[in-house]
Amino acid sequence: MRTIRNIFRRKMRAILTISGIMIGVFALIVMGAMAEKITLLVDGGTKYYGDKVTMTAGKGGAMSLGTEPLSTKTVKEVEKVDGVARASASIMLLQDPKGGSVNMGVPPMIGGIDGRGKGLESFKITYAEGRDIKPGENGAAVVGADMVKKLNAKVGSNIKVRGETFRVVGIMDKTLTAPDSEIVVSLHDIQDMYVKQLPVMLRDKVDPATVATGLTIYIKKGQNPETVAKRINKQFPNFTATGPKAFQEQIASSTKIFTSIIFGIAMISLLVGGLSVVNTMTMAVSERTREIGIRKAIGATKRAIVRQFLAESAVIALIGGFMGLLFGALFVFAANSGNTGTPLFLLTTRLIAGSLSFALVLGVLSGLYPSYHAARLSPVAALRYE
Amino acid sequence: MTAIIEATNVAKMYQLGKDNHVHALRGTTVSIESGEMVAIMGPSGSGKSTMMHMLGCLDKPDSGEVTLSGRRVDTLVNGHLARLRSQEIGFIFQGFNLVPTLSALENVALAAEYAGKSRKEASQMAEEALIKVGLGDRLRHAPSELSGGQQQRVAIARAMVNKPAVILGDEPTGDLDTASSQEIVAMMRHINKTTGTTFVLVTHNPEVGEACDRIITMRDGAVIDDGRAAADNADEAVA
Repeated sequence: MRTIRNIFRRKMRAILTISGIMIGVFALIVMGAMAEKITLLVDGGTKYYGDKVTMTAGKGGAMSLGTEPLSTKTVKEVEKVDGVARASASIMLLQDPKGGSVNMGVPPMIGGIDGRGKGLESFKITYAEGRDIKPGENGAAVVGADMVKKLNAKVGSNIKVRGETFRVVGIMDKTLTAPDSEIVVSLHDIQDMYVKQLPVMLRDKVDPATVATGLTIYIKKGQNPETVAKRINKQFPNFTATGPKAFQEQIASSTKIFTSIIFGIAMISLLVGGLSVVNTMTMAVSERTREIGIRKAIGATKRAIVRQFLAESAVIALIGGFMGLLFGALFVFAANSGNTGTPLFLLTTRLIAGSLSFALVLGVLSGLYPSYHAARLSPVAALRYE
Repeated sequence: MTAIIEATNVAKMYQLGKDNHVHALRGTTVSIESGEMVAIMGPSGSGKSTMMHMLGCLDKPDSGEVTLSGRRVDTLVNGHLARLRSQEIGFIFQGFNLVPTLSALENVALAAEYAGKSRKEASQMAEEALIKVGLGDRLRHAPSELSGGQQQRVAIARAMVNKPAVILGDEPTGDLDTASSQEIVAMMRHINKTTGTTFVLVTHNPEVGEACDRIITMRDGAVIDDGRAAADNADEAVA
């Protein structure tokens, strides 16, 4: 209470200093929440791809044409390779063929899968409502958690994707990674959609009943997915099999840079706030020099003076920290509930705890010099000060 | 009578700038006896405030000795001096010597807290001290809500809250009007008579000097009259 009264002796200055810290913590919370979301996407992705090999057509990537397309026939052949437990064919297309809205990580996709991975998939998907698609259930769709709002999807209602209408049979629980922005339909339906989007001259060359853009290859227990990927690449020179490592490395390095930049910017703004605390406390000490002299004369020890001023700077930082957290959380909440599909921000407890402790540590550090300076004043010199 | 504070051959020099130093005290000796009420008077720059700082353990002499209740104190470290100040000495300064953000009660309690008392205990002691100086109805008032005389009474309450042996005053009536000034002097005299607390008051105010048992007069960093002769004469005249 006394500390608060001391801080607000100079109301305007206290408010400005607290705002400085508040803005810093706000930046740290908002930008940190963005970084956390990315980290989570990557972690989720790492897990998603953790134990399997993906196979795509051609060396140039999934969609390159003029190369031999993948087909469900390849599935049987790949399953003969040593170490492969099972292979599952799938097609993934963008929900919006023109590209679509701004999104972090994975763009919203629509996909179909043959369901052969059942029981082997370590990444379990659960349903908030409804159920999974049954094999061969055409015209049905399962909707990812983040797409519900955008498509106004309910179990039993119809949704329209790429001009096609589907009946929603299930809504997935939130996974915090790729499936959240996906729509899953039957392999047959997606094969039709895939062929439709091909240039006319290519349409005849592919068989809509067997075409696929990717195979997910499940590995037998105890086998190294990277070794199996190498084996597959050797036997199928026209396709590309990629182990989990390539995906993880590629994503990890780019997110690392991204998150460092984000945190760097937020830290700088918080440091500026910290400097304003140093300034405020230094001014407070010089304004209260006579008071310090009196306190020392009536028996305050160095420690008591240090404690008094450190408490003030810590409280300034904490008030600023909590306000920054409040506004940051409100901002994140508002931005996430905006109708943009995948949430861009994720407010984690470690981010909240980290931001508040950083603000507190900064406050204490900022108060160290002024408090020490105050404590070191000789009582006589301080008393003479007018 | 025994000396409660004694400064023997105390010298203090202040460096104001390069080649510019002031001999505030030049081997000065002052002895205050227990239960006395003494005024230290003299023109500005005579060294009287510096002497008070020495007696109050606020500063250390360059040479000479200071003893408090028979113990040498000029050799003690700062932390020890702070404890000594909080427990054995009370201070009253000239005007504006209260913490503006604290109430009268908190200002007085602060001194007890610095002396190691718990907040609750300190608050109780402070209330008692404030009642003694007649401010029992002003406990929650901020210094800015009190008159100059009332503020100085709070300062007196703060000085006596830890029941120190000695209370030192630096121009305790400095910023007060005549009526308030007389009231404060009378109050200090009363405390001195009833509790036996020793008072040493640095002052310009002749009325303060008159109220005291003796007046030590200083000039140019030295005592030119320790007032004992006058005090003896006065005693004889009474006798």
